Amino acid sequence: MQNLYWKWQFKSAPYWFIAPFVICFIIFVFLPFTYSVYLSFNEWHGQETKTFVGLANYVTLLKSGDFWQSIVNSVLIFVLYVPVMLALALIFAACLSATWMKWTGFFRTVFFIPNITSVVAISFVFLLIFNADQGILNQILMSLGLLDEPIRFLETPWWARVSVAILVIFRWTGYNMILLLGGIQGISKSLYEAAKVDGANGIQSFWHITLPLMRRLLAFCTILSTLGTFSLFTEPFILTGGGPNMATTTPVVLIYNESFKNLNMGYASTISIFFFILMMILSLVQLRLFRERD
Amino acid sequence: MRPKKRVFSTLLSMVLLASIALTGCSGGSGVKKEEAASGGDPGEKTKIVVWIWEDAKNVIDLNMPAFKEKYPNIDVDLHVLAQADVYQNFLIAASSSDKVPDIVNLESHRLSQMIETGGLLDISDKVAPYKEKMNAYKWADAMKDGKAYAMPWDSGPVVMFYRNDLFKQAGLPYEPKDVAEQLKTWEDYKRFAKQLKEKTGVAIMADSKTKTDGTIFQQMLWQHDMWFFGKDGSVQVDNPEFIKIGQYFVDMMNAGYANEVQPWSDAWYSSFQQNKQATIVGASWYDGLLPSLIDPNGAGKWSVAPMPKWSEDDKYSSAIDGGSNLAINKNSKHPEEAWKFIEFMLGNDASQLKMMEGGLFPSLETTYQDPVFQEKVPYFNDQPVRTLYVDAVKNATPITYTKDYPLANELIRNAFAEIFLDKKSVEEVFKKTADQLRQKTGRK
Repeated sequence: MQNLYWKWQFKSAPYWFIAPFVICFIIFVFLPFTYSVYLSFNEWHGQETKTFVGLANYVTLLKSGDFWQSIVNSVLIFVLYVPVMLALALIFAACLSATWMKWTGFFRTVFFIPNITSVVAISFVFLLIFNADQGILNQILMSLGLLDEPIRFLETPWWARVSVAILVIFRWTGYNMILLLGGIQGISKSLYEAAKVDGANGIQSFWHITLPLMRRLLAFCTILSTLGTFSLFTEPFILTGGGPNMATTTPVVLIYNESFKNLNMGYASTISIFFFILMMILSLVQLRLFRERD
Repeated sequence: MRPKKRVFSTLLSMVLLASIALTGCSGGSGVKKEEAASGGDPGEKTKIVVWIWEDAKNVIDLNMPAFKEKYPNIDVDLHVLAQADVYQNFLIAASSSDKVPDIVNLESHRLSQMIETGGLLDISDKVAPYKEKMNAYKWADAMKDGKAYAMPWDSGPVVMFYRNDLFKQAGLPYEPKDVAEQLKTWEDYKRFAKQLKEKTGVAIMADSKTKTDGTIFQQMLWQHDMWFFGKDGSVQVDNPEFIKIGQYFVDMMNAGYANEVQPWSDAWYSSFQQNKQATIVGASWYDGLLPSLIDPNGAGKWSVAPMPKWSEDDKYSSAIDGGSNLAINKNSKHPEEAWKFIEFMLGNDASQLKMMEGGLFPSLETTYQDPVFQEKVPYFNDQPVRTLYVDAVKNATPITYTKDYPLANELIRNAFAEIFLDKKSVEEVFKKTADQLRQKTGRK
């Protein structure tokens, strides 16, 4: 009897330990998600009755230029920032793990701070920096004689995307740097020593040892950044409000606008479900590529 | 004995875990509901919760001592939220049948949209005595199918605030009387803009090509008795008159008559103190904003004249921008107390006049007889400016924002951005916008 009970306890214990997470997950993720799926088949503007419309919302979505525009915007922002960010992160990581580097702890903290600072606060600061007439960035560029006229950063589509990209680089370089730092430190020192014996300099060993061995980790960072870019919200929302003329409207900003501004809850749910499916396919494809490279 | 103890302790830890999981995550709303329920017993003090934004709370506060004196048994919790949060949180509250808040503050331009959600209480009987006393246009957005869902608070009749010193420098008429006589139409406005720019280099207005908030354009529409939607509900964005007004705005911007700055941005605020533009064609609530937030050192420099008209034969001479309302949550446990609060604040002259001191122009017309409206205002060079607001509100076109206004506004702002960025014609872009609007709203 006692033995049986002990066995039951032994077997069930893990479930009790994961219960808090599972309960929270069901309440806050799974149920809302299921409800969204249900909503996506309805027309609902917040009133008591919902009208079942079948796949009509999905048809609207596929026909609507807005959604595809938001996907294109995300891709453009991705192209603008990911290469720069990963290059910077890798260079910083390589520098921080170099033997001649001092104050490494200090720099690691400095680079990571933007990532844990409130994104709202950072966005507001960048809003001031990017201001066309009084922003410090234009002032500096103009006093250096690089510009004759101020760049209207937040008011033209391309510069608005660049501004969002710069903000994202600022926030996420440190995070990626820490990930890459872990990878670099995992590379055996003996490889570098061997290279040195063979007469390779620092840059050569970075190019021929560090970079190839970091490929897996770089691919991992790219996957994380892909998902991150498509679900960007706070940065464009505060910095540009999704404008001008929807140039920085990401899918999540679009979902926000449709649901809370236009009260098209059903249609907004449709966008999020469709977006979810798209992201899932993208992740699967990326994981597959990642595995093959392995 | 021992197994029993184990069972007990396992059970205990289960309960603890569950309670941590549940309270940790959903504690917020549970507490709120209890609070609301416990206040309902008769004879006891009742607590009503009002969701409101900062500026609105500040003027309500002016009346709170008098309210407490009259209704000692009603406790009012003025819960301040950011304006956008009031709508979002109320949507969530309404769709989950939450009893909190009892009262919610709603701007006119989002009122129809909120009524549409069905979360507001039908207060037709309660507002009936005020039907005649309020600005007639305010009811249009507060009604649906003949029933009233909100009580009007303040109105935003549009006038033209202008810098008399800059006008004088440019050799333009600068006395309010002369300005009113010589600047009657938007064509005159353009003429003034030209002279201002040539003589002083100052722009006449401030707006952004690609990030306009659409206010100036919409005020022009409104005064001309045009709107995104016609009286029959059809989309008017491709109406030739509508396009003409859009063209005027585009011409003003392209001619460089506007200081290019995004409305309500930090740069916009500071541009007034840097003398970058000479007029604000805007609602009466600038009366409160100018001396406090926009140009605190500008006393004596600002004067007020009626807003320019599209055409001299226009039936109406003014427009409306903004204004808000108070409404009761359909699921409120204390609708009677909530109504007492609303009636006290918005339905009587004394409270409304007090709130006007805080910069909100009352929708309650019975107040307009009060001598305070004739008073000279020191900030405006001792001009009795409030008489102009009264004239403006009486001559403003009665237009309904409608529930699709937020969407229409968004689309038209994008349309202007497209016109300026891609150098497209107003007609072409507005026609495209009209089609989008039709497709998204199902209107004709």
